[in-house]
Amino acid sequence: MKIELKKFGVTLTSRQLGKEASAAFKPSLTQIGKEEIVEIIFDGVNTFSPSWADEFLTPLQKEYGNRLFLEPSTNPSVLATIQLLEDIGQIKYQITQ
Amino acid sequence: MNLKLTLGKVAKLLNVSTDTLRRWDKSGILTAERSNKLSGHRYYSNESLETYLYDNIFKFCYKWATRKMGQEPPSIFYCQNSSIFQARLSKMEAELMKTDSLKDIYSLLVAITGEIGNNAFDHNLGNWSDIAGLFFGYNLKSHQIVLADRGQGLYKTLKRVKPEIKDDKEALKTAFTEIISGRAPENRGNGLKYVRRVVEMIPIELYFKSGNAELTLTKNDSEVKPRQAQKRMLGCLALIKF
Repeated sequence: MKIELKKFGVTLTSRQLGKEASAAFKPSLTQIGKEEIVEIIFDGVNTFSPSWADEFLTPLQKEYGNRLFLEPSTNPSVLATIQLLEDIGQIKYQITQ
Repeated sequence: MNLKLTLGKVAKLLNVSTDTLRRWDKSGILTAERSNKLSGHRYYSNESLETYLYDNIFKFCYKWATRKMGQEPPSIFYCQNSSIFQARLSKMEAELMKTDSLKDIYSLLVAITGEIGNNAFDHNLGNWSDIAGLFFGYNLKSHQIVLADRGQGLYKTLKRVKPEIKDDKEALKTAFTEIISGRAPENRGNGLKYVRRVVEMIPIELYFKSGNAELTLTKNDSEVKPRQAQKRMLGCLALIKF
């Protein structure tokens, strides 16, 4: 399954909105097969910050682990946010090749 | 509509005396209009007041944040709730995106502004010291973004998750340097660590104040060295120069 973050907005910055996005999208996650890969697409997002990301991405990382992939992005706020989440959670996100 | 404001109203709004306003009028800092030649009462147009406020945005925000008795900031800067802040942040993002020189850094500027502003709501909701909400303003000509709240400040909110913190200086240092993983009882983020990392990446300057402690971070000097502030304040105040 591909999750396009731009469908949640282009300025993804608050914890509250991250929580809302996560809750709203939860029913769609039931469609994911047992071995299916989940891919996060950042294309079209202008700003991405740790508060939003922590509420949305961290639960997905916990749920899908090595089945979760991030599509490469050159957006500086995406890169800096992912780096911080990795340091906080002591994890390494997998990037789609 | 261009409303006229009296000398007294403007003095109250800016937290200065009417004598100061008269001096500013004479020296051209904030020019008043006269009601008529006979009475000579001073009035201010919304337009001239807004120009003054944007030109002196940090000075005004600092005064608002450090005054003893809280009062609502002018509506152009006042975000009563996080939805209003989010809408104004998106507006700022759109304006920054149009600036060629900022195309590589605008997303980081918006992200750190979002982290600081949203912190105010996440940590103070229901616990504001007096005025609920956030002062948020920016001036693209003078390259400044300012945010302030009259909430509880870093010391009070951080002490909940780290009781050994002794004072404002220590709280400020913790907020910018330590990753706090034990989140209970509060869902605390690590936004200010992110802010510091961004300052290390791009040529901007951050001034941050909470309680009676303050610090300045730049790309070349990002060591967190809190110092004693001249004036104590209730919540947090940030100035981003870009």
